[in-house]
Amino acid sequence: MDALYHVLISPFVDMATQPVFFAEVVIGGLMAGVMYALVALGFAVIFKASGVVNFAQGAMVLFAALTLVGFMEHGLPSWAAIPMTIVVMIALAYAIERVILRHLVNQPHIVLFMTTIGLAFVFEGLGELIWGSNVKALDIGIPDQPFFVGGMLLNQFEIFAAVTAAILVTLLVIFLQKTAIGRALRAVADDHQAAQSVGIPLQTIWVVVWSVAGFIALVAGVMWGAQSGVQFSLSLIAFKALPVLILGGFNSIPGAIVGGLIIGVGEKVAEIYWGPIIGGAIENWFAYVLAMVFLMFRPQGLFGEKIIERV
Amino acid sequence: MLYREAGQFKTTYGADQAIFPIPQDRWVVYAVIALAFVAVPSVANEYWLQAILIPALVFTLAAIGLNLLTGYCGQLSLGTGGFMACGAYATYKLSTAFPEMNILIVFLLSGIPAAAVGCLFGIPSLRIKGFYLAVATLAAQFFLVWLFNRVEWFYNYNPSGTITAPPRTMGGFMVTGPEATAEARYLVALGFVALFALLAKNLMRGRVGRAWMAIRDMDIAAEIIGIRPLTTKLAAFAVSSYVCGVAGALYFAIYLGSVETAAFDISVSFLVLFMVIIGGLGSILGSILGAFFITVVPILLTNVPEALGLPIGVALAKQLENIVFGAMIVFFLIVEPHGLARLWQIAKEKLRRWPFPY
Amino acid sequence: MSEAYADAAVSAGAPQAPARVFTETLLSVDDISLSFGGVKAISNVSFDIKQGEIRAIIGPNGAGKTSMLNVINGFYHPQQGRITYRGKVRKKMRPNEAAKTGIARTFQNVALFKGMSTLDNIMTGRLLKMKRNFFWQALYWGPAKAEELQHREYVEHIIDFLEIQSIRRTPVGRLPYGLQKRVELARALAMEPHLLLLDEPMAGMNVEEKEDMSRFILDVNDEFGTTIALIEHDIGVVMDLSDRVVVLDYGRKLADGTPDEVSRDQKVIDAYLGVPHE
Repeated sequence: MDALYHVLISPFVDMATQPVFFAEVVIGGLMAGVMYALVALGFAVIFKASGVVNFAQGAMVLFAALTLVGFMEHGLPSWAAIPMTIVVMIALAYAIERVILRHLVNQPHIVLFMTTIGLAFVFEGLGELIWGSNVKALDIGIPDQPFFVGGMLLNQFEIFAAVTAAILVTLLVIFLQKTAIGRALRAVADDHQAAQSVGIPLQTIWVVVWSVAGFIALVAGVMWGAQSGVQFSLSLIAFKALPVLILGGFNSIPGAIVGGLIIGVGEKVAEIYWGPIIGGAIENWFAYVLAMVFLMFRPQGLFGEKIIERV
Repeated sequence: MLYREAGQFKTTYGADQAIFPIPQDRWVVYAVIALAFVAVPSVANEYWLQAILIPALVFTLAAIGLNLLTGYCGQLSLGTGGFMACGAYATYKLSTAFPEMNILIVFLLSGIPAAAVGCLFGIPSLRIKGFYLAVATLAAQFFLVWLFNRVEWFYNYNPSGTITAPPRTMGGFMVTGPEATAEARYLVALGFVALFALLAKNLMRGRVGRAWMAIRDMDIAAEIIGIRPLTTKLAAFAVSSYVCGVAGALYFAIYLGSVETAAFDISVSFLVLFMVIIGGLGSILGSILGAFFITVVPILLTNVPEALGLPIGVALAKQLENIVFGAMIVFFLIVEPHGLARLWQIAKEKLRRWPFPY
Repeated sequence: MSEAYADAAVSAGAPQAPARVFTETLLSVDDISLSFGGVKAISNVSFDIKQGEIRAIIGPNGAGKTSMLNVINGFYHPQQGRITYRGKVRKKMRPNEAAKTGIARTFQNVALFKGMSTLDNIMTGRLLKMKRNFFWQALYWGPAKAEELQHREYVEHIIDFLEIQSIRRTPVGRLPYGLQKRVELARALAMEPHLLLLDEPMAGMNVEEKEDMSRFILDVNDEFGTTIALIEHDIGVVMDLSDRVVVLDYGRKLADGTPDEVSRDQKVIDAYLGVPHE
């Protein structure tokens, strides 16, 4: 009885009696969610354009951040280092297309997925080989002063992250929905062969998409790196993004954002109010269990399109 | 000309359905098994056994387990580490709770909880496929490792959080615990691998294997010939997790001796997946080749440069290892999805015609 | 052995005498309607399939023929109507349950297991007949082995029957299309079905292959006594093979009868020659 009370009732009593603290927890969760969403966006773009879950996206975040820090450590100012990193990411996209994707046209998606797992390992190894494996600070002048709104503690950095995410999403939605390339992307995702047969240059499309994903990885890398330093664990945020994508639907840009926010808030609230009861440190798996329960009822995610199988 | 099968006719379907229908193959396999059981333990030194052969054998078992699920039944799993942890902790609990129980029985029983957990996490496979399912198995991975880390009962309230294999004997020989010799542990691991490789091969060449492969190749067509997708997939999860569980038990009790949950983290799942991909999806021989390959490469990466007078640091070796493994995965998936096992098969074809080009 | 079958084919391959009479109903569909979110695929269709006959379902593209097969074998569940199979009204069931009751099926686009050999593909057709459990299977010894060999023998019989001995060990992915269709038929036959549903068994074949396939279909009907329902676009083949024909158009039944009756039906002629629908 007592255990039931602690699980089912007392957390809600706590929420009701301390609304300001609860609001702080929720806002903290939303901010964490924005950060997850930044990573998830990169996945969603590649999925939309090739039907592939790019497991290497997390490693690309690490690689982009390491490259940026590396350039800055060599004395480049941030206004020069950022474009140079973008160039590096585009070059990588080109190389990936040449070496890998080109050879896997029309392969089952699961094969492509496994290939990106291999790719993730290459990125991790390469990034650390080139730029070293010690933890590095990344400071490109994002403001991070705390301030109070209605008794709640907020941080400028979090606001900055939210605004960045909003801009990024707007740009992506315009890119995907309004431009000819966006339409071509969706065609490619649907069927490689059919897209090729109507004259869509598959190779170019893939380079573009992976470049865009590389750019998103850089943005995510900058935000995460500024918050918690650039280190190997950055590549593990891929594991955070996967449940976000399941929740939101793999091919949905708004889904990545909403999924990120739900996971962010759910995780924080669960950790603060239920975590102590079951031993804490649940953030490693909570998102997954949430996503899995969700999968059972709505396999296509919140915003995903329903897949109807024909026989 | 060395390897010829011309003139060998099979007169019964039984002979035709044998694992090695060609006598040359059969004799080679018998010879390898005999060597492994008799010659290797008397020749190999402690380092070879502990650093290469025992881990390779333990991982072979895990790779066979994963290959059953991923290679034969087509369900990608990233939860191998978690299922292995189930087996390891079950071994610890069983062997401490029933000290007089034969350790081999303990190992075999340890697979059962792993199988049950595997079934549980396999349930989503009814609704979801491909990487969706892979993500669901990640849930198993993270949740199980957390569970064994947080719930003190699993490590008998030991303040350090580690579990240590208690010393147990078998036929008068110490096989677990600090006193056990590398030879004894090697033989136990080898025995398990030989047994499970045979059982898995049998299972996969009969009804069960065909049903699994049918699900893998085309689940809709599988359904019209009467295969029930859910029970078939759950059976695959159960059998696969059972084998992974036993592998986890050996990993803990035979190879490492004492472990923390960190020994079963996500990198183990990836390592076993890599073994299966590089060795060959849907091949028992591939599981063996892949496991040995993945075990040997890191050792080569540290030792070869050293032998050449260019010692490299641990960090650098680790980075190189990542790059090599990643590149191999990409290479094999692009060039030869059936892995080393297929390369071996091609080599045999060539040998059959040698010295003629075709 | 195959020559004996070939001889049988010659006698059976002669134009079907219209005198074949079938009395016992194997399956009947009554008043079936099926729609996908507002789009009607089948509306109020009824017909029956008699034990032992070759029944053709024809109609223009999009007439609901494949949907009808999907209803019969449990892929789709009609919103309305009743299916009576072997004297019993059938409950809503999954394809694997339908398989258990003896309904086998081939697909319009070949649905073989690409990673397996021809032999293994056909052996999968015996899955339902194999009873030995996991543990016997893992041992591959005694009863399990005996069972395996006994089914292998049956499968070899079908392999001989369909003349595909030479491709026994070939992975089906490497076979040409015509042979793949034949392997798919072999897999369905291995199930020893009461009712065999063939969805365009001759699509994409050349004349010789069509002739072969027609001969096999007649032989199967003749030798195994299997009841066959088939969808086919080649009207010539349909007229030669089938005992009775049902014509669908826009999800409705247009005509039902012997090939002769159907081919004289004005509505059928209109549908095929394209008189505008009112």
